[in-house]
Amino acid sequence: MDRTHLNEQALLFLAKRDSSNWTDHDEESLQNWVDCDDAHRVAFLRLENIWENVGRLKALGAGLPRGTVPPPSHWRHSPFFASENERAPRSVRQMRLWSFTAAVMILTFATGLIGYLWPRGDRYSTPIGGIASVPLQDGSSVTLNTASQIHVELTPEERHIALDRGEAFFYVAHDTTRPFVVQAGNKRVIAVGTQFSVRREADDIRVAVTEGKVRIEEDAPRRRRGARPETASPERQDQVFAAAGTIATTNSSGVNVQEKPIAEVAEDLSWRQGYLTFHNTTLAQAVEEFNRYNRQKIRVEEPRTAAIRVSGTFRATNSQAFIRILDEAYSIHAKTTDGSVTLRQN
Amino acid sequence: MLESLDNWFKREILAHEASLNRYLQRFWPRRSEIPDLRQEIFTRVYQAAKKSRPQSSAKSFLFSTARHLMADRIRRKKIVAIDSVADLDALNVPVPGQMVDELSPEHHLLAHQELRRLAQAIDGLPPKCRKVIWMRRVDDLSQREVAARLGISEKSVEKHVIKGMRILERTFYGTPDEVKADPGDLTQDEQEHG
Repeated sequence: MDRTHLNEQALLFLAKRDSSNWTDHDEESLQNWVDCDDAHRVAFLRLENIWENVGRLKALGAGLPRGTVPPPSHWRHSPFFASENERAPRSVRQMRLWSFTAAVMILTFATGLIGYLWPRGDRYSTPIGGIASVPLQDGSSVTLNTASQIHVELTPEERHIALDRGEAFFYVAHDTTRPFVVQAGNKRVIAVGTQFSVRREADDIRVAVTEGKVRIEEDAPRRRRGARPETASPERQDQVFAAAGTIATTNSSGVNVQEKPIAEVAEDLSWRQGYLTFHNTTLAQAVEEFNRYNRQKIRVEEPRTAAIRVSGTFRATNSQAFIRILDEAYSIHAKTTDGSVTLRQN
Repeated sequence: MLESLDNWFKREILAHEASLNRYLQRFWPRRSEIPDLRQEIFTRVYQAAKKSRPQSSAKSFLFSTARHLMADRIRRKKIVAIDSVADLDALNVPVPGQMVDELSPEHHLLAHQELRRLAQAIDGLPPKCRKVIWMRRVDDLSQREVAARLGISEKSVEKHVIKGMRILERTFYGTPDEVKADPGDLTQDEQEHG
């Protein structure tokens, strides 16, 4: 039977059994239904388990009179969560962001990164292979990828983040009075409330926007720092807008904005979970990616080897697995010398 | 006496649903197939446990079943060569328990963080639905008592339970795609049915 249909049936049984109208006859139908197919029984057990788990919320209802339902988010004030503070969840998207942030924080802890994160004034950085999440005072947060550094300056006029090097993902708390400006070299990416990442390579940047819209502009040499970017004339030639679902890249001739399915943009950000995803990527590019995350550098010398295309998802810090797969699938062999690995065919 | 199979299954297998979902999302490129895959994995584990319960870790057994099923599907469908090689490689790490730990930092989320996720999922429910679920599960009021307090019929309470559980099943335990695809429609749930 179709899973959705099966799930719905199990749901009807569960809710009815919970009511006062549950008869012996109903019980018999339920038993027959779960007995006739293990898939039925499993679907029912699963929902029953979820239903039972919801009862764990009693821990949060403690102290409230029976029958009083606290407003949403009220539980945040529960003594249970007293030691933590966090912005209120408003949507499933934010929930997912929260769980991802937690994952990143745990990952940070797991990799022992905390000791590497130096909050020197407002400067934050990560070592090679590191990921770190930095909450900002305004409720925004920044996730730093490998070998990255930012400099944070929050003023009443502007939230200014200099991306000194590397890559970062920004979750921007909505505040129309204070634009959120990411400065990477002479490029600026400006947002009000949105989610996006900026990766810097020398003076060029790559911006992936997952939510909202950002404005990308080049610093006019005479531009005064702290000037309100919003008041700048919209006709400026060096201004480009990038909306959710786009990836913008800059080069000497300007900014190129490409529309991508959201899933693809999200994949571009899989580093936040510690993964690299390749789709038909040249080995040269894949190796370059791995080299961002690992001290032991990989080199590909032969052009024909560098041009091979690879796909797959890999742990960013586990280049060994990647090398092993290349060996098994493509007969590309690795030779280690002086702390670097050279890949060649045959 | 041996614990009932159903209880064992809930405690040892279904308890890992959240990490199983994360695991599948990481390795199964077609997200829309994950709910079916998950159902098949659970059913297989249940059927195997009917014959004999796993001797060592139930969790490792769950994840190795997941790996085998994914590997089967990859072989049958012949997904692009290196994708399968990459996936199979990751799936074939020798010690299942360790591998899962290594791959899921979220796995270490503390129990109260999971509780917080649950609370957030509950907050995401439509207001009336949320009230019903809260009164029923946190306050332990019966469906009849909840109906009396909210001034609606017991049948409506039951419908709110169905709706709330459907949403929770997708948001808290499901995958992002399941959240979007909501075939169930209970727009008339405020209607009274005697």
